[in-house]
Amino acid sequence: MSQNAYADALKNALTEIKKICSDVSRSFIFRRDGMIVAGDSETTKETVEKTVHSFQSIVEKEDMIGGLKALIIDGENGKVHISCVNDMYLALAASKNADATFLQAITHVIVPTVLKLLESTTPTPLQFAPSKQLIVDTLSGFFTGDSVQIDLEVLKQWSELLNRKNVGEVEIEAFGGKTTQCSVREINDPKLKGKGIIRIPERICKVLEVKKGEIVRVKPTEV
Amino acid sequence: MPAKNKSKEEIEDLQETLRGIKNREGIIGYILRGSNSASIDLKDPTKIIDHAILSATALEAGQDIANTFEIGKADSIILEGGDMKVLSMIIGDNRLSIFMEKNVDHNKLCEDLNLR
Repeated sequence: MSQNAYADALKNALTEIKKICSDVSRSFIFRRDGMIVAGDSETTKETVEKTVHSFQSIVEKEDMIGGLKALIIDGENGKVHISCVNDMYLALAASKNADATFLQAITHVIVPTVLKLLESTTPTPLQFAPSKQLIVDTLSGFFTGDSVQIDLEVLKQWSELLNRKNVGEVEIEAFGGKTTQCSVREINDPKLKGKGIIRIPERICKVLEVKKGEIVRVKPTEV
Repeated sequence: MPAKNKSKEEIEDLQETLRGIKNREGIIGYILRGSNSASIDLKDPTKIIDHAILSATALEAGQDIANTFEIGKADSIILEGGDMKVLSMIIGDNRLSIFMEKNVDHNKLCEDLNLR
């Protein structure tokens, strides 16, 4: 099963859950690194990205509580549950009076079962392109070319996870929403290695509308 | 009691309730932060800053997510971790976080705080 088929199957499952539980207004699944796996048909990309961004600020401090298992927000007009399901997080928005037992059943039984079922039908372990958040450093000069530069360690990790000989191209996403794909090679300046940065030629920075010091999300392109 | 416009007397009552809660089994401590002062009672005082940062992050991120989903003001925000749990809420001008072991019933705490 391809990654897209997996995401489609999950999206259908979330849409069906919404149909049987009218209290659930929106739902989506994302990975702990912020990558969005699937969402129901009515949840906008903006909603998902804002939620993931806020959620990750808590995840950064999860060591103190032994890893974040769930975040429950009880609001004046509704509630939001974000629960750890396998290695991912399921976000559910529901009405104020939604049945807590049913929400628990969705997060602890239905979605984990769907995920297990999907994984059992996958011939090889699912490998999503693991994205990294890296700090922009600009490359300027005549000989910069069109390649970005990333730590060799990161490229090696991606190669191993994706079972590829090497990663030659990446997709870069700025927080403003601009994306681009470009070739990648390892950082050649030893002083800049291991600092969590991505060196981007100025021309590509303009395309992405990013400046030095800003954070971008980077992942290998799908083959 | 609505969670807004708390008078000084009501906040003193809340502090009294918190002192009672603090002595219960499984309660690690609490931080009640007002605009000019803070009451902090934690079992391990060396971790005050870590707890304060976590409390502030939970309250801020929780309200941001509530805004994103348009569910209004966040009455309570619960973080459930592998080892512990945090119940955070805004009461008037005060920001409260109660830290507890993961098996403590936070719903009971909300009832005791007279917030439900």
